[in-house]
Amino acid sequence: MLLRASGLTQNRALDLNSVTGAVRDDGGVPHGRLLVEFAEAVLGEDEEALARARAALRPAIGPAGLTDAAAVVGLFNAIDRVADATGITLEAEKAEASTDFRAALGLDRFDVSARG
Amino acid sequence: MSELYASAPIAIRGDLDAAHERAWDRIGRPGTWWDGGQRVAIAAETRHASSCALCRRRKEALSSAAIEGTHDSLGALPESVIEVVHRVRNDPGRLSERWFRSVIVAGFSEEQYVETLSIVAHVVAIDTMARGLGLDALPLPAPKPGPPSHYRPAGAKPGGAWVPWLEPADLTEQEAGIYPAGRPAANIMKAMSLVPDEVKSFFDIVSHQYQGPLEMRDFSREYRAISHAQIELLAARVSALNQCLY
Repeated sequence: MLLRASGLTQNRALDLNSVTGAVRDDGGVPHGRLLVEFAEAVLGEDEEALARARAALRPAIGPAGLTDAAAVVGLFNAIDRVADATGITLEAEKAEASTDFRAALGLDRFDVSARG
Repeated sequence: MSELYASAPIAIRGDLDAAHERAWDRIGRPGTWWDGGQRVAIAAETRHASSCALCRRRKEALSSAAIEGTHDSLGALPESVIEVVHRVRNDPGRLSERWFRSVIVAGFSEEQYVETLSIVAHVVAIDTMARGLGLDALPLPAPKPGPPSHYRPAGAKPGGAWVPWLEPADLTEQEAGIYPAGRPAANIMKAMSLVPDEVKSFFDIVSHQYQGPLEMRDFSREYRAISHAQIELLAARVSALNQCLY
């Protein structure tokens, strides 16, 4: 939801398919492809792929940007676990505001209430 | 002045370095339901879990419940705690309320579950950042002596999570400040509120690794070296990879 909001406030058209990895361009976000590849590599197990993704991203966004990118990936890797392990659902306001793109991107299949 | 990352080959913001130092210090101190030694043991088990063969087999299976066995653990914690640490660390996208109810057994309370989950989340946040930057994982803190406080907020009650939580209207003076002023409390904050100190501790990290509750919605300026759009793209991609709708 905040990704779309950030695009709207900057009059920038963002391709939300970047979220699912379905598009391999920047998706309207500066260095979006490199950021997505970095996130995928950090969560993956291929050390060489991670080294390549890090080396590609660093000159694009600078060392301070790389630190912030790694910090965000780390934080959401943790916060997802808190959400999943407590069974929380989206707040009504967020659920309403995201209905269309959750459906379009097929994200509702991750709804915790659908788990057995 | 924090020196946690003083020798790191890449500069770490001072506020982020200090936030991690506070988090590490808190992990070593007596908590609300676990003492310092138990908290550090949970942190160590979180790291060890990544090499668990049972977890790997379960993750590859269509149904994790179909695979029986024993976790590869450090042996310092009860089996129920090890199960929670390993499942949350290794396969969070398939956790269910049925599984949660099964681990809340005699000797392992909902309050201990929340504190355990919080410690796992602290370690995952900090260790994943280090992995992203190619840094060695920080040495775990030394445990400090003392008993846990056993403080349970009187206003905690069933809400929108598997565990009881605190609505803002039910906060007492002792829990003041766990939710941001001027905004509704997000479910992710309320989810940990059965152990208020863990809300304070984890969301201290959130404010520095991500952004604070006001900064994240203030699109009029940038607070980090990457933009709001870049931050939110990373956040959304990570959550999709983790199969987390929230």
